[in-house]
This record gives sequence, structure tokens and C-alpha cells, in this order.
Amino acid sequence: MRHIFLILTSLALIAGANAQSRKERKILFGSTYNYEVAVLGVGQDGTKVFKVWGYAKKVDDAIVQAKKNAVAACIFRGIPGGNGAAPTPAICREANAEETHADYFDSFFATGGKYLKYVNLTTDAVPSGQDRLKVKGGYKVGIAVQILYNDLRSDLEADGIARRLDAGF
Amino acid sequence: MKKIFLFLATISLSLAALAQAKKPTIMVVPSDVYCISNGFSQQFIANGVEQTLPDYKKMVQNDRNMRLAITKLAAIMADRGFPLKDLEQELKNLAQEEAEVAAMQGKEGGEIVESPIDKLKRTAKADIIMDLDFNVQKRGPQSYVNFNLRGLDAYTAKQIAGAAGSGQPSTAAAPELLLEEAVISYIDEFNGRLQSFFEDMFKNGREVKLQLKRFNSAAFDFEEEFDYDGDTKEFGDIVDAWLEKNCVQGRFSRVDGSSNMLKYEQVRIPLFKESSSGRQTAIDARGFANDLRAVLRKPPFGIDCKVYQRGLGEAWIVVGEK
Repeated sequence: MRHIFLILTSLALIAGANAQSRKERKILFGSTYNYEVAVLGVGQDGTKVFKVWGYAKKVDDAIVQAKKNAVAACIFRGIPGGNGAAPTPAICREANAEETHADYFDSFFATGGKYLKYVNLTTDAVPSGQDRLKVKGGYKVGIAVQILYNDLRSDLEADGIARRLDAGF
Repeated sequence: MKKIFLFLATISLSLAALAQAKKPTIMVVPSDVYCISNGFSQQFIANGVEQTLPDYKKMVQNDRNMRLAITKLAAIMADRGFPLKDLEQELKNLAQEEAEVAAMQGKEGGEIVESPIDKLKRTAKADIIMDLDFNVQKRGPQSYVNFNLRGLDAYTAKQIAGAAGSGQPSTAAAPELLLEEAVISYIDEFNGRLQSFFEDMFKNGREVKLQLKRFNSAAFDFEEEFDYDGDTKEFGDIVDAWLEKNCVQGRFSRVDGSSNMLKYEQVRIPLFKESSSGRQTAIDARGFANDLRAVLRKPPFGIDCKVYQRGLGEAWIVVGEK
């Protein structure tokens, strides 16, 4: 009897430790750092091609979020290497650029905002199979994107958000 | 009065803000291993020892793949604000310059004076070398490119940027396509590291080398003691004290020294100094060495010095005469 009690207590504790509260899920879904990116290969000159995931309650919203994440990854975190492509550094190299230029990025990433200018090609027909996973509280959706990386960098440099390579010379 | 003061303050601040550091020149140079392994090399016998050196002229005249890589890199770097010096054009210019110097005469028949040092200095150079190496490898029916791009500071001999790796194997793609893909793939990583180098330079000063040497006509050697700043010190220690005062955050390393030479590395010099007109002007190793020369010309030293420039990043002060 004592053994059964111990096993049940342990199981309850493990389950409790792994469970995400509704609040935690909401935070994760809304997190601006929650980008999952897998590089698909070397893109055409000036572009980056990778797969990116987005989370939302509805599939359509998750697709929109994935596109935002794709552009945000290029700006703030950089893109990892893979499939023959070398890693790409973040366009904004200063720490906390997102907070320093909060007003700029609020309008940049508003739904239907300027960020869409740099998302050239996606597979955003309703994804299926492993690219459309039902998770607790919504969907995790993966889309392949081509981002106009050089155009994005040039525009951010022109707007004074990113530092040019030849700045100061 | 207050308005005049404010106006003057605004003008001087604007001038300081507009000051631009001296822009380093960049050139793509094929690595020695690339040239030698592809047969673009020449052999010399120096002091009984056979030496193999890259033959850049032969390479630019025969290697289409390297030309393609250089063109691609140059286009990308020009977009980033750094038009590259072209090795091929530089070699042609040097040959043309040599012919013109030999042929040029004044109206009175005077010829251009050129010392052996002037002739030695007439070589293709840049402040930053993009040292490029690649080779196409086979794995069964597939080909892939091994790519290695290093950014070298020509004066400190430090690697300041780099990107290297292998591309994705392909059965169908031609070697030129694989090479182009490798350039596109690695250049952002390379430029990211180059940008870190520039950011460090703006924050901590330009890293240069400085050497002091003496002509045999100099009145003293570098172990002689002088009364300077209320203290009696060896000449070398006085130079150390001056560097500590004038380097960014007092950063420099004396790597070697004797009674005839002082050798400094990792000397962090400011990028700007205030000119006599109050403007912020960009300086390089030569400008910095000139300031030290001005100190040496005054008492208690009172000695003439020659400042010998080796690009943006290295200068020698030769004590004793001009």
C-alpha cells in the first residue's frame, strides 16, 4: 500500500512539473523570442530560405505569426546554418534593439505592416501533416519562407535602426 | 554673448560628429595554398634554398573560377559600402607605373628620383586582405565546394574575420554554380565578424604597430637616461609613459626592446585628434607617430627623427636624422 502511495505521489509531482498552466501557454504564444527556425538551403543572392514556425489559437493566425517570426529572426537573432548554408548574423547587433526602437518595431510588425514587404515567398496554403500540429491551446504551424534579407538590412540601415558596415568611415 | 557661445558650441559639436575615420582598403587575394596547388606559382633560389611563391599575374590571366569568386565578392562588398581594390587592375597599374616612372623626364631632362625603398614599396597592398581559398571536391557522382575566406589585418597580421565550411553536395550543379553559392552563403557571416572588428575599433581605438629604431648617427641610444617630467628615466621608459598617456585607455604592449630598438604591438590609437584649427581629423599610425616625433624634437631630447609609414597600421620612428 505504501509503495502504491509513493508511486502515485511521484507521478503526480512529475505531471505537475511538466504541465503548462494556461497563463504560461499564453506567455509562450505571445513571446517575441519564441522563433523556431530550420534552414532549408542557400537562397538566391540577397535572400534567405528557411522554415519557421508560429503558434496561435487558429491556423491562420499561426501563419501570420510565423511570417512575423521569420522577419524577426533575421533582425534580432540571426539564422542558424544548415543544409549547406552558413549561419547568418542578426541585422540588429546591439543588445535589446527591440526595446531601444520599440516604437519603430511596433508599427513595423503590426499585422499587415511593413514586415510583409520582405516575405517574398511562402508555402502559406493551409499547411498539413507535421507542419500543422494541434497543440494544447491552439496550433503550431510551420511554413517555408524566402526572406529578402539584403533589402531588409538596407531599409533598416537607411532608417537608422541597424548600423551600416561602413558607418563611421 | 550667450548666443554666440551656443552657436560656436553647436558648430564644434557638428564638426566632431562629421569626422570620419580613415577607411581601410580591402582586397581579395587568393591564398598561397590555392595558387601553389593550382600551378600558379614561381620558384626562386634564395641563399641556396628553393622557395615557391604565388604567381598572381599568372592566376588572374588563367583562372576563371577565381575571377568569378572575386567579382561576386566585390559586388557584395561594394553594396556594403566597401568597394574592393581589384588585384588584377592593381597588378596592371603597378606595371604601368613602373614604365611611366622609368620614361618620365622634366623639360630640363631631370628624372624621377626613386630610392630602393620606394621601389620595394611599389607592390599591391591593402589594409585588409580577404584571403580566399576554395576547391571543388568529389564524393561519388556528387560535387561540393570547400570554401575558406579569411580577413587579415595586413599590419597586425591578425585574423579579424573568417568564414569556412563545405557546401551542399550536388550531382547536377556545375562547379561555378557551387562556388557562387558558397560565396553567397558565407559572406554574411564574414561581414558580421568584420563589423565586430570595426565596432571594436571605434570603441577601443585602431590597433597598430609602432617601432623605434636609431640611425648610427643618433647622439644617444635607447638606454640613455633623461630628466623628464620631474623624474630621471631611461629613454624607453619615457616612450612607454608617453604611450600610456596617449593610447586609448593606455593600451599598448612593448614586445621587445634593446639599446637600439623598441617594438610596440597592440597599440590602440585614437581614430581622431583635434587639429590646430580645432577640427576633429582622422589619424592613422603615421599621424600618431608624428605626435611622438614632435615630443622627441623638443628638450631634453632635441633630436631629429624620420617617420616611416607602412600603411594605415604601422609606423617606424627612426631616431637620429630625417
